[in-house]
Amino acid sequence: MTHRKSISTSFSRAAISLLLCFMSLSAQAQGFLKLEKDTIPLLRGFALSFDLVGAAQMTLSDHGQYEGALRLNLHDQYFPIVEVGLGRASHVDDEVTRLTYKTTAPYFRVGVDVNVMKKKHTGNRVYVGMRYGFTSYKVDIAREEPLEDSFWRTKVPFVINDEQCSQHWAELLFGIDAKVFGPLHLGWSARYRFRLAHQDGVMGKTWYVPGYGLQDTSTLGATFNVIIDI
Amino acid sequence: MRNLPSSVFTILFLFLILLSACSSIDCPVENQVYTVYHIYNRAGEETTLGDTLFVWTPRADGTDTLLIGSATSRKSIQLPISYNNSEDLFVFYICDTLQQVTLDTVWVSKADTPHFESVDCKATYFHEILGVRSTHDGIDTVIINNPHVHYDPSQEHFHIIFKSRY
Repeated sequence: MTHRKSISTSFSRAAISLLLCFMSLSAQAQGFLKLEKDTIPLLRGFALSFDLVGAAQMTLSDHGQYEGALRLNLHDQYFPIVEVGLGRASHVDDEVTRLTYKTTAPYFRVGVDVNVMKKKHTGNRVYVGMRYGFTSYKVDIAREEPLEDSFWRTKVPFVINDEQCSQHWAELLFGIDAKVFGPLHLGWSARYRFRLAHQDGVMGKTWYVPGYGLQDTSTLGATFNVIIDI
Repeated sequence: MRNLPSSVFTILFLFLILLSACSSIDCPVENQVYTVYHIYNRAGEETTLGDTLFVWTPRADGTDTLLIGSATSRKSIQLPISYNNSEDLFVFYICDTLQQVTLDTVWVSKADTPHFESVDCKATYFHEILGVRSTHDGIDTVIINNPHVHYDPSQEHFHIIFKSRY
């Protein structure tokens, strides 16, 4: 357990260092918090996006999420964003443990991305950002066969229904948006997620948390977004 | 796309592939749930078993199972706890150095909670000890020290005092 904590701490430090590095580079280039002085208006519009990684996970594996986002473009530099999604896990009758885990719940994240490119108005963006996320969800867990008590030789059902759980978390991210044609952009983001607070019910832990991924104290993730400027 | 070199996209793509390859099964190393009895004298000092101890429990099918066989000079003993019996019964058979035998029964009442770690990990039950009582042939006292029973084997759930260790 101690070893895992040190790995988690290393990832935290690496992610924060990366973010600070980009902030520092940007600050040196032109002043991180200052808007570029030009004739471009502050409000540049909105963008809608849809994440394909979560949808692919949903299709190809036993957990994933459908997620969309609305992003505000402030002078091609700051991008306040709201991400909403529906996460789902349906792991049925694990071949080793015989456990079934099901949950479906909405989630949201709010945050901001900052374009760190020197030339901000080209339509292509390299950005760093952060998010706060929250979900409230219920889980059903059951074992397909009763547990066998080896000492007392009794068979005991293992069933947990509608266990109420919730989680607050934060994300640090690095991403790239590239203009393809017209209002269409494509973009990657890599994210480091860490839990701020969580309530896992009476049964100990949860496995899949909608919007966050598989349970852990921290996790890495990614999105591939189709983005349309409006 | 001209301002973003394709190598940047390639590196990021490979990084993301690597991320997706990172998964681990994180089950606890200790995955047995036992109650731990530490042996004390009446002065409240930890001591060792002076006699030889056997412990067994009756099963639902009418048979018995031996849980501890011929334990001696131990500071503590570990006993299993049932998944969902409301009360567990243990028979303590104590044989001293003169071959004199005392026989006691210990009843442990508890509340049981299903415990889940991950779909990859064995399901089990954790417990909250509600009460303990015993007969007093060779056992003087059994008291609850920590009522929470889970994977941690370092917990002292009970303090037990044997009459031979006054």
